[in-house]
Amino acid sequence: MSKIYYLPSHEYIKVEGETGYIGVSEYAAKELGAVTYVDMPEEGDEFAAGDEFGAIESRKAASDLFTPVSGVVLEINAELEDDPKLINNAPLEAWIIKVRITNPEELDSLMEEEEYAKFCETHK
Amino acid sequence: MIEVRLSEEHQRRLPFFLAMEEWVAKNLPTDDYIFSWRVNPTVICGRNQDISLEVNLPYCRSEGIDVVRRRSGGGCVYADMNNYMFSFIAPGSDVEQNYIRYTNACASMLQSLGIDATVSGRNDILIGGAKVAGNAFYRLSDRSIIHGTMLYDFDPVRMSCAITPSKAKLESKAVKSVDMRVTSLKEQNIALSLEEFGAYAMEYFCSGNSLTLTDNNILEIEDIERGYYAPAFLYGRRHTKHETIKRNKRIDGVGDFQVELTLADGGCITNVEFRGDFFEMGDVKMIESVLIGVSYDRSAIEKALQYIDISAIIRNLERHQLYDILI
Repeated sequence: MSKIYYLPSHEYIKVEGETGYIGVSEYAAKELGAVTYVDMPEEGDEFAAGDEFGAIESRKAASDLFTPVSGVVLEINAELEDDPKLINNAPLEAWIIKVRITNPEELDSLMEEEEYAKFCETHK
Repeated sequence: MIEVRLSEEHQRRLPFFLAMEEWVAKNLPTDDYIFSWRVNPTVICGRNQDISLEVNLPYCRSEGIDVVRRRSGGGCVYADMNNYMFSFIAPGSDVEQNYIRYTNACASMLQSLGIDATVSGRNDILIGGAKVAGNAFYRLSDRSIIHGTMLYDFDPVRMSCAITPSKAKLESKAVKSVDMRVTSLKEQNIALSLEEFGAYAMEYFCSGNSLTLTDNNILEIEDIERGYYAPAFLYGRRHTKHETIKRNKRIDGVGDFQVELTLADGGCITNVEFRGDFFEMGDVKMIESVLIGVSYDRSAIEKALQYIDISAIIRNLERHQLYDILI
């Protein structure tokens, strides 16, 4: 059973036990347009909550990527190297990094789905 | 729009202005802001480009052209004092909408001068099918930064020499620059001088509405600026894979000589260290620093080191011996 949390900068983390899958929300994917490149960290890299872990570039713009929680990178989504548009097709499936969550309490400060939907609505 | 002004006049390097955009986006209340600036010759790479593939680093080095990276997307551009850069900082993060607002404003400004400017699908400004202004977008959580060139005049030779179309680029997955025919306002017989044009554009956009940054603001901007010079950001932190080359040789009259080179994916030297029991007569770091950013090929290395007196730094080491151990 997984649960999804969001940052105001539109990254999500899908949590399954100690593991988190971090990507960008549908809202962000739509605003960016066709994704052309995802700059990803390396396995084993450690991040604190709010750190910049990479960048995402579309045909029109580039954006920073921030980690919602502290963690260690277990895997990067190598499929995105060849096909970054997967993010546009299914943002919640096309996670960017898989992390081991080192401080689960940090999840409490993130937005849950309903709150995030309202947040997006007010930021239109 | 509100024009953001600096009270000072002294020449800044390009990353200062990128930092200024970020500072405006993160510190000023929600509104439309704009400022214009000019820089000494500089090549600006896109966020996810491989510098060693896109930029002719030995040429830039020999011509004194600064090479920097921006946080927005897209391809390489060359800028100098004959080119105005505009920075537009807008509320919200809607890429399409903010691009349209900015590029339409730019095209209208040029049209008001009798120039037949149009906006292209790639968000460039064209005159008769040739590009006069190219724009790039850095999207923050709730702000948008758009910046772009506006060619008043240009030097086609320097522009094309500084930016390399290379065969290797085709193999790389990093973001590539798109070649396009360019034109300038001068070619379009603009009636205004360079300075008059800059002043006209700001007046057109802001009608005298402006704010001036304080010395304290500038200190904060300079703090952000420093991040742009970090080698990890400039030469690529992750999108370039690194390879290490170690070489070891006993050279008569010199001693044991070891070199360790780190190369980025595109073959650009990102770190170099000399070790051994040779006699150091000058500062070896001087040789090392000249090699950073140079392509790992013999002619580029020879060119980069041509004015360094090698044997005055490492006793008895001849130029060709150094080249041979390096590559």
